Amino acid sequence: MSPLERSRRRNAELGLGLLAVIVSVGGYVLLVLSEGPNLPPDLPLFLAAVVALYAGAHFAMRALAPRADGTLLPLAALLNGVGFVTISRIDRDLARAQALWTALGVGAFVLTLLFVRRVSLLERYRYTCLFLGVVLLLLPLVPGVGYELNGARLWVSLGPVNFQPGEGAKVLVVVFFAAYLVDRRELLAAGTRRLMGMRIPDPKHLGPLLLAWGLSIIVMVRQKDLGSSLLFFAVFGAMLYMATERAAYLVTALLLFLGGATVGYHLFSHVQVRVATWLDPWPVADGDGFQLTQSLFAFGTGGFAGTGLGLGSPEKIPNAATDFVFSAIGEELGLLGTLGVLMVFLLFIGTGFRIAVQAQQPFNQLFAAGLTAIIAIQTFVILGGVTRLIPLTGITLPFISYGGSSLIANFVILALLLRISDETAKRAETGAGRRARVTSR
Amino acid sequence: MMIRPIRKVGIACTMLILALAGQLTYLQVYKADDLSDDPRNVRKAIRDFERPRGDIITADGQVVARSVPDDADGDDFDLQREYPQADLFAHVVGYQSFVFGNVGVENSYNDELVGRDLDLDLRNLDDVFAGKENTGNVVLSMSAEAQLVARDALGGQRGSVVAIDPRTGAILAMYSNPSYDPNPLAGHDPLAVQQYDELLRAAPDKPDLARAYRERYPPGSTFKVVTAGVGLDAGVTTPETGYPSINALDLPQSDSTLANFGNRNCGGTLAVSFTNSCNTTFAQVGLDLGDTFATGMEQFGIYQAPPLDLNPGAAESTGPTPGSFQNDMPRFALAGIGQGDVAVTPLEMALVAAGVANGGVIMAPHVMAEITDADGGTVRTFDDEAWTTAVTPQTAATLTQFMISVVEEGTGTAAQIPGVTVAGKTGTAQNDIGDPHAWFIAFAPAENPTVAVAVIVEQGGDFGSEATGGQIAAPIAKRMIEVLL
Repeated sequence: MSPLERSRRRNAELGLGLLAVIVSVGGYVLLVLSEGPNLPPDLPLFLAAVVALYAGAHFAMRALAPRADGTLLPLAALLNGVGFVTISRIDRDLARAQALWTALGVGAFVLTLLFVRRVSLLERYRYTCLFLGVVLLLLPLVPGVGYELNGARLWVSLGPVNFQPGEGAKVLVVVFFAAYLVDRRELLAAGTRRLMGMRIPDPKHLGPLLLAWGLSIIVMVRQKDLGSSLLFFAVFGAMLYMATERAAYLVTALLLFLGGATVGYHLFSHVQVRVATWLDPWPVADGDGFQLTQSLFAFGTGGFAGTGLGLGSPEKIPNAATDFVFSAIGEELGLLGTLGVLMVFLLFIGTGFRIAVQAQQPFNQLFAAGLTAIIAIQTFVILGGVTRLIPLTGITLPFISYGGSSLIANFVILALLLRISDETAKRAETGAGRRARVTSR
Repeated sequence: MMIRPIRKVGIACTMLILALAGQLTYLQVYKADDLSDDPRNVRKAIRDFERPRGDIITADGQVVARSVPDDADGDDFDLQREYPQADLFAHVVGYQSFVFGNVGVENSYNDELVGRDLDLDLRNLDDVFAGKENTGNVVLSMSAEAQLVARDALGGQRGSVVAIDPRTGAILAMYSNPSYDPNPLAGHDPLAVQQYDELLRAAPDKPDLARAYRERYPPGSTFKVVTAGVGLDAGVTTPETGYPSINALDLPQSDSTLANFGNRNCGGTLAVSFTNSCNTTFAQVGLDLGDTFATGMEQFGIYQAPPLDLNPGAAESTGPTPGSFQNDMPRFALAGIGQGDVAVTPLEMALVAAGVANGGVIMAPHVMAEITDADGGTVRTFDDEAWTTAVTPQTAATLTQFMISVVEEGTGTAAQIPGVTVAGKTGTAQNDIGDPHAWFIAFAPAENPTVAVAVIVEQGGDFGSEATGGQIAAPIAKRMIEVLL
């Protein structure tokens, strides 16, 4: 990549980021104006903070990953900004906390770029990653450390710090999956036995599939966290398929999922309630279906153009700042706003998969694809839930929902994707340089 | 390399996002109005609470809902909605509450009242520059005078009165007893509003229930109008068809019998059986019709909710399960006399009478007559439309003759009005709760009907087990017709 191309990417990133800053600050001003005739008193401070955060991330890119894709960071900044404005709309105290989390997220972003100079570094520590990931995943179950909130045991309290370790676990587990699957993919794809006309691999290679399944079941059963359970298993299934291109694995994964889901349905009343309210929330609109029907009301009331920022009643939905943040966007910004946000996610996901396809080494490919799949599936699981496309399972909307652990994990995913993109461009550069020397000889 | 499967997964993820876009479009465009207007959705109501709001006015010029300046300190609201007629129109006009949202006309014509209406906008375009409000008023087709007569005629008895103009579907009166005062629900103190609501819900007589269009009752013999109409239209009977004079009919597929009122012998031609309200004859017609009966009932509007312009709307009326005749014949015999699975709203029975009066065509019922602008000029009037065709004009004419005979020489003589031909049908409906309900449906003048009425007095009112529709309900219908002619 020529220095010119390199600076073109970074300048595009700066310009697009400026647009994201304008949208965020403009949204904040509109929000405050909807409440009274005066501009927000903290506007200069707010503007300075937003610009400083973006500039920090951007200049870290210039220094640490100058060749990386130039659109991913502005897209994340836009989602984050829209999320912040929406959270401010719902709860000013949460918004102040979210501002702090965003700063920590950008910090984590810079640190990730700084310390992970090559993702093959992570490939080497695959088992450490797996161990840490499983520990984090199971930490909320440890008595005295983990605790339950809103019916799910997801939280860990260490001294003054409370966090959801599952958010970190998903990145670590994807590192392991990518490394493991890249190693074994020939074996897994080959298949030695035949069953009902399908070639199936040796059962011993199914170990990791069953491990992933077991983890998902534990998360579902012990932590009552259906969303994370579904996310883990779906991401693993997608990665297994991408590594082997074998439909048999998709079928097996689907059967395992259906099996787990059926058992879960029969064992747990909260799963039955979720399914029943999904099928028909209206008879229980005052009870179990309250959140979902309020969410649907919010979307319907917003209609095409929305009520306008600050002019709706998104606070009627419980958990509007976390799981149901998208419903608040739907009410106040309408279909224009929701489709806009979806477009941004689509661009983000498309860019993520493009980075995966362009990467040279298999690990980088599968790792980038796995990270992107996290964002894509997580987005689908929560948005499908709040729009009643699928049963509702509580999980955060990447970059938008309130939540420190989630935001930091998403910024780490962003940094890793950009690191892979930068590596690819760097290899192409040195590779092209070598070829150029060869031809000139 | 894994490029091909990664691409496939990328495409699958894109599909998922597109599925979300599809679902959002469904919710935010296709279902937007339904969701936004759902009575359980209080968002619109909250947003409109601060807006100026037009009046709701009766056909005879009484104001039933208006907004007045709120002088009370301690809340943020400048306007207070009030209902000067208190309980008289509560089940129709409803209330504007920022705790529970809007109900009744306050809900269904909310956009017009706050001026969010294209016709109003165009009309008031110059007012915008003059700084005037562009709110609209809703003028009802109902009159305060007729409502007062209905309330007075019911007295302390639980029941409903519904009067309709059969030519247009315009509701002229609709009152259910007991009713309630909606004013406290429009208050600005959430706690007081909730306490009043709990009080209403706890009251054993359910004053908040709009019995006239939200409660179902067995219609008893008034339903013989439907049975006869469907039978005549289907050709299984004629006015001259003879039926044996017996005191009870053996029901098929069962050991039970179905008896006439007072266990007396009753029968003769269909016309005579109608005048004397013979249960055995009409149970037989129900059996002769079989599954065709259900199809015919649907033509009369059973199994569906009338498209009433209120929110929440009218309840649907029920009948025996269509297509179940072979499995359960006795239910069709019971349906022939308006018992068993048949359960109807008083509004539906008024529509049955209105359909017969209007040559077989039931017009869509409505309470709105016109929308006027802030200066009282008409913006638009209700667009009358047919709801369903119950029977042919010939059958309607035959039923009219039957019903005239009921009032002239049958069970409904108490509804006679000197100089006016009244057509009617009585009903005394057995039910699970206690004494039978007293029913009467009627229309007048029979030659050129302008008013159709349904009256129900629950459990015979003051007369209890001794009551019949002819004694208790027919005089109330008579008073309604007198005031509305």
